Amino acid sequence: MMVTKIPRSRISSLLFEEVSIAPLVVFRIIFGALLLFGTLRFIGKGWVEDLYITPKYYFGYLGFEWIKPLPGEFMYIPFILMLIASLGIILGLFYRFSSLTYFICFTYVELLDKSNYLNHYYFVSLICFLMAVVPAHRYFSVDSRLFPSIKSLYTPRWHIGIIKFQLAVVYIFAGIAKINSDWLFQAQPLKTWLQAHHEIPLIGTFFQEDWVAYLFSWFGCFYDLFIVFFLLKSSTRKFAYVFVIIFHLLTWYLFPIGVFPWVMIFSTLIFFSPEFHKNIIRFLMKIFGAYPGKLHLISPPKITVKPMVKALIFVYVILQLIIPFRYVLYPGNLFWNEEGFRFSWRVMLMHKEGHATFYLVDSNTGRESEITNSRFLTRTQEDQMATQPDMILQYAQFLKNYYDGRRLHYGDQIFEIADPAIRAEIYVSLNGRPSQLFVSKEHDLTKLEYNLGHREWIEPFKE
Amino acid sequence: MGFRSIIILTSLVGIVFLGCKKTEEETPDFNKGQLLTNVSGQIILPSLNDFDSDLSDLQTSFMNFRNDRTAANLEIVRNDWKKSYLTFQTVKIFDLGPIKNNGFKASTATYPTDTLDIRANISAGSYNLGSAANVDAIGLPALDYLFFQPNALVELQNNEDYLNYVEAVINKMKSESTLVLDQWQGYKATFDASTGTSSTSSFSELVNEFNRDYELAKNAKVGIPIGKKSLGIPMPEYVEARYSGFSFELLDASIKALTKVFNGNSYETSNPGVGFDDYLVHLDKESLKTTINTNFTAIQNKIDTFSSSLEVEIQQNMTGLDELYLLLQQQVVYIKTDMTSAFGVLITYQDNDGD
Repeated sequence: MMVTKIPRSRISSLLFEEVSIAPLVVFRIIFGALLLFGTLRFIGKGWVEDLYITPKYYFGYLGFEWIKPLPGEFMYIPFILMLIASLGIILGLFYRFSSLTYFICFTYVELLDKSNYLNHYYFVSLICFLMAVVPAHRYFSVDSRLFPSIKSLYTPRWHIGIIKFQLAVVYIFAGIAKINSDWLFQAQPLKTWLQAHHEIPLIGTFFQEDWVAYLFSWFGCFYDLFIVFFLLKSSTRKFAYVFVIIFHLLTWYLFPIGVFPWVMIFSTLIFFSPEFHKNIIRFLMKIFGAYPGKLHLISPPKITVKPMVKALIFVYVILQLIIPFRYVLYPGNLFWNEEGFRFSWRVMLMHKEGHATFYLVDSNTGRESEITNSRFLTRTQEDQMATQPDMILQYAQFLKNYYDGRRLHYGDQIFEIADPAIRAEIYVSLNGRPSQLFVSKEHDLTKLEYNLGHREWIEPFKE
Repeated sequence: MGFRSIIILTSLVGIVFLGCKKTEEETPDFNKGQLLTNVSGQIILPSLNDFDSDLSDLQTSFMNFRNDRTAANLEIVRNDWKKSYLTFQTVKIFDLGPIKNNGFKASTATYPTDTLDIRANISAGSYNLGSAANVDAIGLPALDYLFFQPNALVELQNNEDYLNYVEAVINKMKSESTLVLDQWQGYKATFDASTGTSSTSSFSELVNEFNRDYELAKNAKVGIPIGKKSLGIPMPEYVEARYSGFSFELLDASIKALTKVFNGNSYETSNPGVGFDDYLVHLDKESLKTTINTNFTAIQNKIDTFSSSLEVEIQQNMTGLDELYLLLQQQVVYIKTDMTSAFGVLITYQDNDGD
């Protein structure tokens, strides 16, 4: 048996060797600017109101239901803090505090309601966390002016490496997720999404062609799987970056995915050489008339290995590699059951549409009522809930709590509702297939466990 | 690995695809622009036009009645009202563009009408019919009460305040309908050109409003009055056009209008044109198209089996109504889930920030 063992010192030098801090500094400025833009856009579109003030009910995450929105207009506070913090990140002003503030506010908002879950929001949370950990403010920043002792031209390699790793995780897992028969052999859901663009002048007719949908699907899969490797290698980097731009501009043009094509286009610049980033900094210095200032360190400092840091990096990396694979613990079709689906970089991977009719059943008389979902949920929430089993259970529980103990007057009759059952009949269409029964009316949803276990009550998926 | 390997990889992928491209049966040509042009030109504008002239007729016959207050003349007024209400079943599907911007759907047909508000307005003698509080004291449902309540003829013959109120309600509707018609003529070009996939494109709005109107027909015209949302206790006060007993005719007209829009059939001649049905055939979903049309026919046939008003049927034939409701219910899944997802339309109003 042959075992190739990388010597410990090699790992240490890989992680802790001092390298130019320039890529990290440029990343700080670029990502900070994206955060600023994204936050302004979010506020400007009125989404704070629509997503965090208007709803009557919020779908919290299991174990995080205690996280609640602030009352009414106070919900603008975290967003204003995010605006200020993103400026702090760009300028490198009170950088640690700023990046931690952004991370906390952003993650707080994301944890409020899973109907707003997006893989890219999760990505932003993770990157903000990592930014709070790495010292991206030790050069070309207000902090390094205020506190010259922190100034450094160098930083341990893992500070940059961990961000590259995170980007690699996003791409490669997104690629792995595409290796499934719907994506590769039915070209779904791209076939559905692309044909809807048949009106685009000149190229529109192509989007109606099956082979174009297949080409996009396979190209997308290859792109996600391998782009990072081409970005890592200096000989292929420029060529790969052209692909990055084309790919993300195409998704920006074709799909309603907001700022995230730009996030990916700009974030992947971190793969470029220190020299490239130094040029950017010199350019920025010229624009803003900043002078390089005196540098404390001329030659790279000695490598200092901190075992604790090493262990933490190890834990973070392992978690990132394991979490997307947790779905293997569940039986059945992943897209249908959505068990272990989130936090796994399954980006633009399925087209699911559902129609859910909920019923209140009075346990005293056995009479039932159809629930008007729009009374309790926003359209987005209703749409998301109808296809996601955990949200179905949460909503059923909410309905039970709402009706339990209520007196309902209909005509000249009065019903004292006590311990009602909540049932639902739900039909779902997955990736262009005809709709089929998703949840049958036979279950009292309030009697079912809401946990991470497998959900037996979801009707089996039929091909 | 360098440039060469990338080129090899790229061309390999290319070859795989050229190999995969098989000759297939041609699906019929379709584009959303044609559908929008057909729906706006053959259904939306003609029905708006029709509605506007129906209201003109109503204005005329009502003035005629005011001058010569006979039962026979009231009958003419009532028939003009019915005709307007039936036409509106097509108009109300299109709650987008100028219809939406002017709140035309709500101000024309919010029910159940609030008879106490109406009475209060009449005795006050002055009212702002455009106020939010009066939205359920105006429009066609208010006229249902004013023309058909048991004492209607006597009051219409003798009570000037009552007559003034009726006239104000009719005139308000008429001026709004003329405004909306006028704006729609200008809006048509914008509507026809908006074929994109965003949630605010005409096509997405049309699909969403089609769904909403169908669900409204199912819930408001049948479900709520027969007790589907009240633990099975019927709610006759929620019956549409309760005083005239005209509810089944309205349901029938509503389902026929939705069927026409689905098939893209002309409002006036029923001649076939480009509709959702053609889009489904184009997407190789012929069987879904057939299912939806079969269901529409089954619903229509079921409606035809009722001979009395909905309020009477609620007392006498709950089984029949339950069967009707079930048919209406089954259709929702096909149009809301299967059809909408096949079109790749986002059902949410909200712009999205990614995936």
